[in-house]
Amino acid sequence: MPNMCEATTRIVPGAAVIELSGDVDGSAAAILTSAYDRAVNAHDGPEPIGTVVLDFAAVDYINSTGIALIVSVLARARAERRKVVASGLSAHYREIFDITRLSDFIELFPDLDHAVSQLASHAAQA
Amino acid sequence: MTQVARTAPGKPRRLDAFTLASEPGNERLALERVAGTVKDLGLPEARLERLKTAVAEATMNAIEHGNGNRAEIPVEVEVTLDGDDIIIAISDQGGEAHAAAQNAGDPEEPDLLKKLDGAQTPRGWGLFLIRNMVDAMNVTTDGQRHTIWLTMRTGGAAHAEHV
Repeated sequence: MPNMCEATTRIVPGAAVIELSGDVDGSAAAILTSAYDRAVNAHDGPEPIGTVVLDFAAVDYINSTGIALIVSVLARARAERRKVVASGLSAHYREIFDITRLSDFIELFPDLDHAVSQLASHAAQA
Repeated sequence: MTQVARTAPGKPRRLDAFTLASEPGNERLALERVAGTVKDLGLPEARLERLKTAVAEATMNAIEHGNGNRAEIPVEVEVTLDGDDIIIAISDQGGEAHAAAQNAGDPEEPDLLKKLDGAQTPRGWGLFLIRNMVDAMNVTTDGQRHTIWLTMRTGGAAHAEHV
């Protein structure tokens, strides 16, 4: 059965994280946009947020409208010179990211821990 | 080892048939019911996931573009096993709407770079996903009834045929 999309945001060294759960479909539009706004604006450090992590570990379902929402987030992030990475995608949705070429523009990590540790490492080296 | 199901060639067997109200989100009901129907037919997990996505996208198209989100007009779904082929037929009553869309020109193939640059709308992935998920996709339309046929072989690799 459909599960309403929910999103929580937090700041980690080197990135803002948006943890998604439920269904990423047309009903997720306002939730995802709002989460992106919170993620990139909540930060009060000296440097702006340069990377946004979309974590899909708790996402059950992504449809073509959800793919369009992710494209919109990526387009906005690119316009703002931010990088988008993704974690926690199932093998099936990794395949869909490959077919749509989203994975050419969004680096994929197997899980959030891998993404956060690599981004923290890069932030420490910067 | 999983036994792959099949019927005698030319003797298709209907496994399920049901209808759904044309309401947004009901594609989830279609994919879950079809997944339950075919779960013992020997489809590898990755191919079952592809079939579920194709069923969901075809049902969304039927709900939105065929039946115009009018709940009282049902989407019909039929699941058949024909030899090694699982065939899903998803029908709506929007033959005229689909014909009008076709007359307006085929939708452009989705191009992510164009979408990121604003040259294409972010949407428009549905048929692209369906074509890439199943072994064959066919469409039949008469004046009113529009049906999309999805074929997934129970064994072997995908060999896409798109008509």
